[in-house]
Amino acid sequence: MPLAVLAAPEPVADEPTQGPPPAEPGQKPVGENTRRRSVAGHVVLAVLALFAIFPIYWMYATSVRAPEDVLDTSPLPWPLSFASYEYVWQVLPIGKLLVNTFVVAVCTSIAQLLVALLAAYAFAAWQFRGRGLLYLAVVGAWLVPFQVTMIPNYAFLNELGLLNALAGVVVPTVCSTMAVMLLRQHIQAFPRELLDAARMDGRTSWGTLWTVLVPNLRPALASLSILLFISAWNDYFWPALVLQRTDSVLQIGIRGFLSAEGDNWGAVMAASGIACLPIFVLYLVLQRQVMDAFVRSGLR
Amino acid sequence: MKTLRRYGAGALLAAATLLTTACGGLGSTTAESASSGPVPELEPGQQVEITFESYNLANATWTKTINGLLERFEELHPNITVHGQPPQGGGTAGSNTAASVQSQLMVGKAPDVAQLTFGELDYAVHKLKPKAVEDVAGKEEVQAAFGGEHPIAERARDLAAMDGKVYGMPYVFSTPVLFYNADLFRKAGLDPERPPTTWAQVEEYAHAITKATGADGAYADCLTKVAVDWCMQALVRSNGGTVISGDRKTLTFAEPPAVDAIATFQRMVSSGAMPDLAQSQAMDAMGRGQLGMFLETSALQGTLQAQAEGNWDLRAAPMPSFGEREPVPTNSGSALFIFSEDKAKQRAAWELIKFMTSSEAYTAISSEIGYLPLRTGLVDDPDGLKAWAEQNPLIRPNLEQLERLEPWVSFPGDNYVQIRDLMMQAVENVVFQGKDATSTLTEARNRASELMPAS
Repeated sequence: MPLAVLAAPEPVADEPTQGPPPAEPGQKPVGENTRRRSVAGHVVLAVLALFAIFPIYWMYATSVRAPEDVLDTSPLPWPLSFASYEYVWQVLPIGKLLVNTFVVAVCTSIAQLLVALLAAYAFAAWQFRGRGLLYLAVVGAWLVPFQVTMIPNYAFLNELGLLNALAGVVVPTVCSTMAVMLLRQHIQAFPRELLDAARMDGRTSWGTLWTVLVPNLRPALASLSILLFISAWNDYFWPALVLQRTDSVLQIGIRGFLSAEGDNWGAVMAASGIACLPIFVLYLVLQRQVMDAFVRSGLR
Repeated sequence: MKTLRRYGAGALLAAATLLTTACGGLGSTTAESASSGPVPELEPGQQVEITFESYNLANATWTKTINGLLERFEELHPNITVHGQPPQGGGTAGSNTAASVQSQLMVGKAPDVAQLTFGELDYAVHKLKPKAVEDVAGKEEVQAAFGGEHPIAERARDLAAMDGKVYGMPYVFSTPVLFYNADLFRKAGLDPERPPTTWAQVEEYAHAITKATGADGAYADCLTKVAVDWCMQALVRSNGGTVISGDRKTLTFAEPPAVDAIATFQRMVSSGAMPDLAQSQAMDAMGRGQLGMFLETSALQGTLQAQAEGNWDLRAAPMPSFGEREPVPTNSGSALFIFSEDKAKQRAAWELIKFMTSSEAYTAISSEIGYLPLRTGLVDDPDGLKAWAEQNPLIRPNLEQLERLEPWVSFPGDNYVQIRDLMMQAVENVVFQGKDATSTLTEARNRASELMPAS
């Protein structure tokens, strides 16, 4: 739809509205090519959207099949059955898992956002010796594979007494290099004159950050927070290393239905469906800000 | 998913190995344990807390059974408190149990009792250094624990023994069983009461099923890297081969009997008797009733029963043979090992192991989880599993195979996972990608030999 609007000819002021001149025989009407391109574009987008949505549909469709029909490949699940949800509810401490996962995801994303905001502010708005080198070190840390750091982190957590605790999942992940890099980009694009004006008005660096910068970064912070939350919500391996208990986080609970002795797909899909719901709700709430941030990032 | 699971476990193991190597190993306590003799029984009222690491606790469905048994143990031993925990990485297949224990050993928090798979036995004994149950409890007490009203199957007793010493107690395992769809048999004009007994018959029946029904014929879940090597070893041994020599110094999976066994399945794939499917695809095909025969761990029985119920007729038969040779089933599964340094905890750990391998525990484990009862007499005991066994005739082939059981052999050294992966990747390439069996397995054997420990 936006393609058609952008490509539409602008009306000329004071010109009588007569409509387009009649097309010569064999000549294509004005705008037909644009419309065709628009339709083709929408068809492509619709197909891509279907590709994206279909796995989610299949997850919920499988979750509401009767246990004996769970491997059925018919597109519509019938008769509907919520036996898989009942089973998941009986077997897993789903309430505890949801709360634990929520606590871990909220704490991780808030901590990462805060650390990233402060670090990005320093890297983008401050001039200090070794800034480039320090930033390079931060970016370089991103390139170190998780497998290299997990055992040292594990040993460190043991020293802190945080093994088997939710805090142990959060503490080693409070710095997200991706978040630092993204926010640095946004702050660098922020008009320098506004920061200088705030300083001339007598605002401290701390005050400038919270009263000038942060209000203008809201869309970026919203989109980043949802990305960080989703990443923390979906994290499996690190919690599985730290939390050796049956009431850990939801992703590990889901994994409990997959085993060498057979995969319980109905339960996997029901538990996954439950795990997805908070993410959907979060996205719906922050949808406007997320779209704003992505559009701005794309146009810049 | 299974591949991801394996990569995760592999990464964990690799990192843990690296660190232990850098730190000069985990230290030896075996000699001290051996020299000190059996650990005395706990004093009445002596309070002890121990941890029990079990991959069964990572399975959502089984947690209730295992936790129920731990509660029962605490009732019987009020002075011992047991904290059950799943292994790190959340693996339910036991693929990362050694890595989990290893990383906990490094920070001085090894579980007091751990469930480790037999495929990790060599590495566990020589690198993780558990306290041998023989040293903790004494040989007589271990032999007494094997016995009782319903003794543990003779062939299962030494599965966790190495260098002549019993390190762990065999806990839960299964053998390869030929599950088959009796409905497809009938549609193909085959008699479901007479399942195939040789691989040649399996191939013949598979063609008949595919021709009559359009369903896939037969699949052996033993020939891919994901399947690990326990069942592949059964196929090789059934054809008179081995994967490693008796002195554990030479890899033998490229010798003619092994090559012939693998080539048999290559021919089945090329003739269309066996579909070119991944492990999970074959499991789903069987569950949907679109696969005629499926050589698979007997532990899958419960899942298959649930999928077949009301849809198709599930049956089970012993694993087929190569011609006139008697088939040699191997075991999957695990044993229980003690890692406590503290003597009181060692004793408490042994008490827990005795209980978890008792008739009472196997009655619950077999009836609620579906594992093979190692105390086979329970299936004839009205107070044990008699009623359950009568309701579950599928377990019979599995029990019969116990009499011919040969152990799943673990590879030696730090590189045991890489050796196994090289071998299984070569097998997969031969069977499903049509590579030349002799040259592919020989090349893998040569590369894997370089990873064997220096003798």
